Amino acid sequence: MVSASEPQHPPGSHLDGNPATAETSPAEHPTEEGHPATDQGGHHGHDDLGPVLPLWSCIPFACMLFSIALFPLLAPEFWHHHFGKVSAFWAAAMAGPFLFVYRGTALYEIIHIILADYVPFIILLWALYTVSGGILLKGSLRGTPVVNVLILTLGTLLASWMGTTGAAMLLIRPFLRANNYRKNRTFMVVFFIFLVANVGGSLTPLGDPPLFLGFLHGVSFFWTFKILPHMLTVAGLLLVIYFFLDLYYFKKETGRVPADEAAKTPLRLVGIHNFIFLAGIIGAVLMSGMVDWGQVNLLGVHRGIQDWVRDGLLVVMGLLSMATTAVEIREDNDFTWFPIIEVAYLFVGIFITMIPCLLILKAGANGQLAFLINAVKTPLHYFWVTGTLSGFLDNAPTYLTFFNTALGSHFPGMAEAQAVPLLMTDKALYLKAISAGAVFFGACSYIGNAPNFMVRSISEEAGTPMPSFFGYILKYTVVFLLPVFAVVSLIFF
Amino acid sequence: MAFQTILFHTQFREMAFNALKSIIELKAAGLKKVVLAHVIPREEVGFVPYGGTLKEDENRMREEGRIEFEDWIQTIDDPQLEFSQRIEVGATIAQIFDMVEQEKADLVVVGRKKRTVLEKVYVGTHILDLLRRSTVPVLMSKYMVQYEWQGESLTRTNVGIWKRPMLATDWSEPSRRALDATVALKGLVEKIIVTHVIGARQIKNLKPPAIKRLEDESEKRLLSYCRQVDDAGIQSEFHLVLGRTVEEIIKISRNHGATMIVMGRTGKDWLQEYWLGGVSHRVAELSELPVLLIP
Repeated sequence: MVSASEPQHPPGSHLDGNPATAETSPAEHPTEEGHPATDQGGHHGHDDLGPVLPLWSCIPFACMLFSIALFPLLAPEFWHHHFGKVSAFWAAAMAGPFLFVYRGTALYEIIHIILADYVPFIILLWALYTVSGGILLKGSLRGTPVVNVLILTLGTLLASWMGTTGAAMLLIRPFLRANNYRKNRTFMVVFFIFLVANVGGSLTPLGDPPLFLGFLHGVSFFWTFKILPHMLTVAGLLLVIYFFLDLYYFKKETGRVPADEAAKTPLRLVGIHNFIFLAGIIGAVLMSGMVDWGQVNLLGVHRGIQDWVRDGLLVVMGLLSMATTAVEIREDNDFTWFPIIEVAYLFVGIFITMIPCLLILKAGANGQLAFLINAVKTPLHYFWVTGTLSGFLDNAPTYLTFFNTALGSHFPGMAEAQAVPLLMTDKALYLKAISAGAVFFGACSYIGNAPNFMVRSISEEAGTPMPSFFGYILKYTVVFLLPVFAVVSLIFF
Repeated sequence: MAFQTILFHTQFREMAFNALKSIIELKAAGLKKVVLAHVIPREEVGFVPYGGTLKEDENRMREEGRIEFEDWIQTIDDPQLEFSQRIEVGATIAQIFDMVEQEKADLVVVGRKKRTVLEKVYVGTHILDLLRRSTVPVLMSKYMVQYEWQGESLTRTNVGIWKRPMLATDWSEPSRRALDATVALKGLVEKIIVTHVIGARQIKNLKPPAIKRLEDESEKRLLSYCRQVDDAGIQSEFHLVLGRTVEEIIKISRNHGATMIVMGRTGKDWLQEYWLGGVSHRVAELSELPVLLIP
């Protein structure tokens, strides 16, 4: 291990030079579906810190993730009021020493992850959240087992196109209203979290944040459709289980819809013009994966012009949605900026603290996490290890961690722009395992994926009792999810 | 257009109870029911990042609100008035609108925001949103305020707010309704000051004879307003001035001892409402007096 006090690189050398000179030309390495291999991180003419970074430089990242996992459980009030400061603290704990020791190289890495990962990530989440928050499903259905299965199926299908957060926010209130006469509603919301807030988002980079991070690192837009069989298996099994569970409780409760429920108002979708903006978001993301308009250098970071254009278009879609949607629609949706602000605060900490971890993993067997790379070998390992950690840490950074583990394991030392296309083709099973693991297992706990806690909040507010953190895991994850994941493992990995 | 049911929204800031006491003088003009309302912003207790809801905090806040309201009701101890209380969690303005509809309130009372050094206005974005969108009259009570007048920093306590309301009219339908609402305060009101400002922009390109015609026409209209006030058995006085509308309204209210400003909500187009702000909203923002806006 190289001591952190002995920097191996001349400070600031990469920022003053031209990183593009050492960079892989996008035209030379298009991905299988034309996604240009732009500046996606890695070794772009600046010093590679991966082999020299000590393992303990990952401590702030671990602390950041454990803060997200433990504070909401142990000190929720403190966390609610100070999570931004906690995030800033861990970011500073990593960035301070990192900048002091590696100076210019460290600065480059921080600016790079902010511009190439964090900014587009937050912009996409903001745009999806803003646009989907402008669509309101009014009226209500009668919550019978068949209707509930239909709502869950619809949500599962929508999640990949409007994001798990968007689909969950669109449907959770109508779902709760439809079932407000039912006594046992807790299991319904839990299955809603399983399917709409997680599993359904596995088919496109719009669906779940981890997959968008994959997209930003070169995984093509439609590659994730390769998880369709896995998704159908999980969703199908969960829906069948749900149907029989719902049927059992429905018969046990009354066996019929009460007369006063029969007079419920018919369903009506308002703010539907937001689907145009949703299509605009999908189009913008697709566009950025299909064209190559060259690169621009901002603060030493080279990004494709199409990526900046995409981010700009996403902002425009969000602004158009805000300007054209009646404020009453957002109010009826209980729309608030707080959840997206929270994600923005937390993820800036996550992205900055994860820099050493990603660099070490990219170094493969030459890095300090060689033991992890050596331990996680088969697709089955990737599925369960990525998944298990995704269940308790946020699934987006977990995905990126194992995405880099796979790159470091199979293509050590190779530039990301070259390695990712190979991962998508030659080692596709590994990437499927990572993607499926990160998305599916996000449902394992309230902290696995951001919409989980939002659905929980809304349901509790609407009077549906929700299980505790451990109650959720013991009564639902262990009983229903893990056996289904075992089936997926047997069939696919 | 008597106010029979009012929704008094409070965030339990200082002087809120005093403001309530000055509002319920409306009893003399037909007030029958007071709904005490408090909205706990959802962000205060919900959407704990990755953690759900702070149920205990919510319950505590509800309980604190309930005790505070009960204390107010007991202190007022008025058997002729019916009191009820509503404590809800959610988006403040949306919840107020819901409560107005459910309680069939015909007047909403909201408090002012605290002025800051940078932003010397009494209306925050939430209240401005309420003023813009409410379908029932809104009264911005400003029990104790600090303001600047002729270079001096002054403090004013607004008591007896119903005594000398000043109706600032722009001849619109809402202004006409504002006149009806003010006249309906008979029993509380000593005198109604009716005023109209001919805006500086309005006469910018007019020649003196045209301005004179405009003045005469405005005076006639003011007299007709005053006649309606007089017919109701209330004293009246009118003032017609030329100048910058918002500043002149505030100046007249100070010079003639008004205790409240009543205005019809100026319905401007979307762009003007949101980016420039209507006259009524600017008056609500800047005047140290309570402002009653009639939609």
